[in-house]
Parts: sequence; C-alpha cells; structure tokens
Amino acid sequence: MIASLRAEALKSRKRWANWILFGILLLALLAFGYVLTYIILKNPPRNFESRIPASVLKRQVFPENLLPNVLSSVSTIGAAIMIILGSLSTASEYGWLTVQTILIQKPGRRAVLSGKLLNLAIITLFIGIVALGSAALTSYLLVRIDGGSSSFPSAILLLKGFGALWLQLAVWTAFGMFLGIAFRSTAAAIGGGLTYLFVGEALLAQLFRDTPGVKEFLKFLPGVNGSAVNATFGLTFRGPNANTPPLVDATRGSITLLVYLVLFAVLALVIFQRRDVGGS
Amino acid sequence: MAQALAVETHGLTKRYSTGVLAVNDLNLMVKIGEVYGFLGPNGAGKTTTLRLLSGLLHPTAGSATVAGAAPGTPASLARLGAMVETPAFYPYLSGRDNLRVVARYSGASRSRIEPVLKQVDLADRAQHKFRTYSTGMKQRLGVAAALLKDPALLILDEPTSGLDPQGTVEMRALIGDIRREGRTVLLSSHLLNEVELTCDRVGVIAKGKLVAEGTVDELRARSGGTAVLVRATPLDRAQRLLESFLGTSVRVEDGVLVLSVDPSQAAAINRRLVSEGIDVSELRVSEQSLEAVFLQLTEGPA
Repeated sequence: MIASLRAEALKSRKRWANWILFGILLLALLAFGYVLTYIILKNPPRNFESRIPASVLKRQVFPENLLPNVLSSVSTIGAAIMIILGSLSTASEYGWLTVQTILIQKPGRRAVLSGKLLNLAIITLFIGIVALGSAALTSYLLVRIDGGSSSFPSAILLLKGFGALWLQLAVWTAFGMFLGIAFRSTAAAIGGGLTYLFVGEALLAQLFRDTPGVKEFLKFLPGVNGSAVNATFGLTFRGPNANTPPLVDATRGSITLLVYLVLFAVLALVIFQRRDVGGS
Repeated sequence: MAQALAVETHGLTKRYSTGVLAVNDLNLMVKIGEVYGFLGPNGAGKTTTLRLLSGLLHPTAGSATVAGAAPGTPASLARLGAMVETPAFYPYLSGRDNLRVVARYSGASRSRIEPVLKQVDLADRAQHKFRTYSTGMKQRLGVAAALLKDPALLILDEPTSGLDPQGTVEMRALIGDIRREGRTVLLSSHLLNEVELTCDRVGVIAKGKLVAEGTVDELRARSGGTAVLVRATPLDRAQRLLESFLGTSVRVEDGVLVLSVDPSQAAAINRRLVSEGIDVSELRVSEQSLEAVFLQLTEGPA
C-alpha cells in the first residue's frame, strides 16, 4: 500500500489538473467568500435591501466567522471541486487504460486502491489546511483594513471546525472516486456527480424539506447532513438562514457523513476488486 | 523429468457477460527460457488470454499458473513483466517519470530506470512527455516498463503493432536481446514472419481454442509440409491427368499446379506428364509457407 501511495503521490503532484482545481477552490473561497463580499458590503449599492444591515453582514468575512464562512463555501463549490478531483483520480485511469499498467505491477488490487484512497485523504487534508489558513489570513487582513476588531474562534472550536471541513471534503472526494470507478468514464463520473449535487440533492432539499415522507428521506442525504454539521458553527449574528433549522442534529450529521465515507470507499473497492479490466 | 514451465493453463475459459466465448478450454504450456509465439488472427482470443494470464480478467473456468503462482497475485506479478495491448501511460508525465511511477508500484529499484531506458533506446527522449511520443517510442516505453522489475517472464502483446519497418526490426532485435538474457518471453502476434523469426515454439489459437503447437518446422510438417509445383501446358489437361494419377485433387495457383505429395514422387510425375505429351516447363519442390499453414489451421475449427 505504501508503494502505491508513493506512486499516487508522484502522479498527483505532477498533474496540472489537480493544481488547477485547487486554485479554483482557493480563488472561489477567497474572492467570493471574502474579498468581493467585503467590497460589496463595505460600500453597499443604493438599492441594497436586507433585513440585516450591511455593516453587520460584513462581519461574516471577519475572523470570528471564519468557520461558518469556510464551511458554507465547502458545501457548494468545495463539494463540486472534490467530486471532480475524486473522479479524475480513478476514471482517468480507465480513459488512458493506465489501470492496466498499474494492475500488472506487483501490488494487488486492494493495495492499489488503498494507496489511491490514502493519497486522496492526504490531498484533502492539505486542501483543508491551506483553505482554512488562507481564509484566516484573508479575514485577518480584511478586519485590519476595515479598522474594526474581531478575534478568531478558540483553538478547540477551530480544531472541530477543521474536522468538519476535512470530513466533508473527504466524503465528496470519495463520492467522486466511487463514481469514477463505477462509470469508468471521467465525463460520466463528473457529470453524474455534479448533477446529483446541484440538481438532485440541492433541489430536493430546497423544494421538499417540509414534505412528509420526503423529509425523512432527505435526512439520509450527504449534503443535508453536511449542512447540519455546518450549522454547529453558526455566524456570530442572526444570519439570513437563521429561521431554517437543520433537518438533523450535528452528531447524527457527522456519523452519517462518516458512514458515507466508508460506504463509498468499500463500494469502490468491491467493484475495483471484482471487475474485469479490458475486453468486451 | 517434467520440464519447468513459466506458464501453464488447464481448461482456461473466458466467456464475457455479452455471451462471447473468447477463450475456450485452453491448455497452454510455455517452458522456462523459451520465446513462445502466440499466433492467431484478429479476434482469436490472444489478448484475452494474455489478460487472463496477467490477472486483468477473471476466468470463467479453468486455472492458470504464471511464474509459479496464480495470475494477478503479487507473487506472480513480482516475476512478470507485461505489455498488454496498447502501451498505456500517463500523458502528462515524461517517459522517465512514467517509469518512476511504475517502479514505485512494482517496488522495483529506481536505479533500474536508466538502464532499461538505454536498453530500449529511449534515454535521449526520456524527459519528454509521453503524449509527444510516436507509436514506436510508446511501444518501446511499454517494453521498458515491462523490464523494470527484472522479470523472469515477459508477456508482450503484439509488440510490433503499428511500427514502421525500421521499428519492427529494432523491436525484433530487442526481443532477441531479452531472450539472450535468459528470460522467458510469451509474445502474441498475427504477423507470421515476426513469429517465424523470433520464436522457438508457436501456439496457434483460433476462435479461442489452441489448434496447434510446436516449432515452426513441426507445424509445417503437420500441415502437409512441402508441395510439388508444376508449370505445364496445357494446364487443364495436366491437372486432370495428375488428379487421376495421384488419386487426389490438384489445385491451381497463379497458373501453377500445386501437388500436396511427397517430393520423392517428383520424377514419376514428370515422366507421366511427358509421356502423355504435356510440356513441363518447371517442376520444383516448395516448402509450404507459414502463411498457408496458418490459414489451414485457423480456418479449420467451426
């Protein structure tokens, strides 16, 4: 497994697509989640209407709201990027037929996939650290520019928040990886994953969250559980979504996400282990 | 004493989920140290067999032992180098980096990379991206990757496929070098000339079944071996006469009568034709081409 991990690490490091995805994630997080938000709320347009004043809303980019701000970005753009990352890591192997090249080498299939999983876990850890770190730095700079005062959450809370961030990044990456193996096609895996994320789950959760029966079903979806975990790290002011309580509590949300993480990994392994490679 | 075998299959069968029976009850034996040619027309089941031996496919029935262990197990793969179908590598990595990846997966020493690059004559292009490689260079990188873990057994699927004549000659020389290193080579091909020039023994597969096995000379002999060729005038009368004389049908190819008889009968055939007033302008003994043997063997089974 260590041999596979080393091979995967080399491939990941040298693959531009991974760095581009990472760049897009950081850019989206810092530009939309921080800089643009701050600029707009600092000098709101004349027709700006909100029941919460812009001067209060702008505090979402300050250090005190580091965790809810980063986590809300992760549950949308972050999830999409991670699905693409996971899909690329497995489906490209089928596209290039390199899955054959790998499997003809010494490690068995389980070791190959375990190496891939471990590598993705490390990548998501790295992305989580850099995303949180750069968001922290940006929020610090913005509060200094603003001339206000704000402090970061406690170390314990930061650690918990980072755990929630990494768990969600890992779940969506594992989902993408599983789709890549199931579909054996990068386009189908990414298309399927993004359709599920933005059309399937997002629409269901928006439209049917109060419909009896469907509501119970929604409680098992990864995005809904991710939102429940994120709700633990609420804004320091009563935000626009304050009247929409999560469908499940944070503990159940965390456990469900962990179950999904294991489920996607196990399903990917079972398919990868049993499936023929090549031939009609 | 039984000779040690590098590859041994018993009743190996692969039926795809689509219902296609690609390999049918295959019994194959490749001896240690030989270059074994796996010959068959396109779609005969060659690549499927090599995939089964590499552990990429799971057999429907039967068993196989490859380099002393079950196909696809780490024990078997540790002693096996393979290039199955198209050499597939990461397009965004250089040739050298692709070999680094393969070395990491296989546990091969990094110090093997430069020698194998030199062996396949790719050292001066090793820093270029794989996607910029020509077909010949891709094939050579495939062989380099297969050689990286210093394997006892090498499986090469159509190694000269897509190569120009120069590349084909170079690949053949490379296989010769590999054989001289004492490795066992199992190579598949549909190119008869390649197999004839490269292999110690040949197995002919058709419709998933092994239809013949032996040295090229043995296969020739088994399929009629030699023929007597006669150019005579008038041709149709000569044909009728020889059919009644030999008691067998005589075919005509490009204006020449082809007689599948023992060459020792050539003089009698000549006397007979001349005595009947037929002009004989040419009479010679011809070894049957491997191509004819191949067609005879592969068109046989229903």
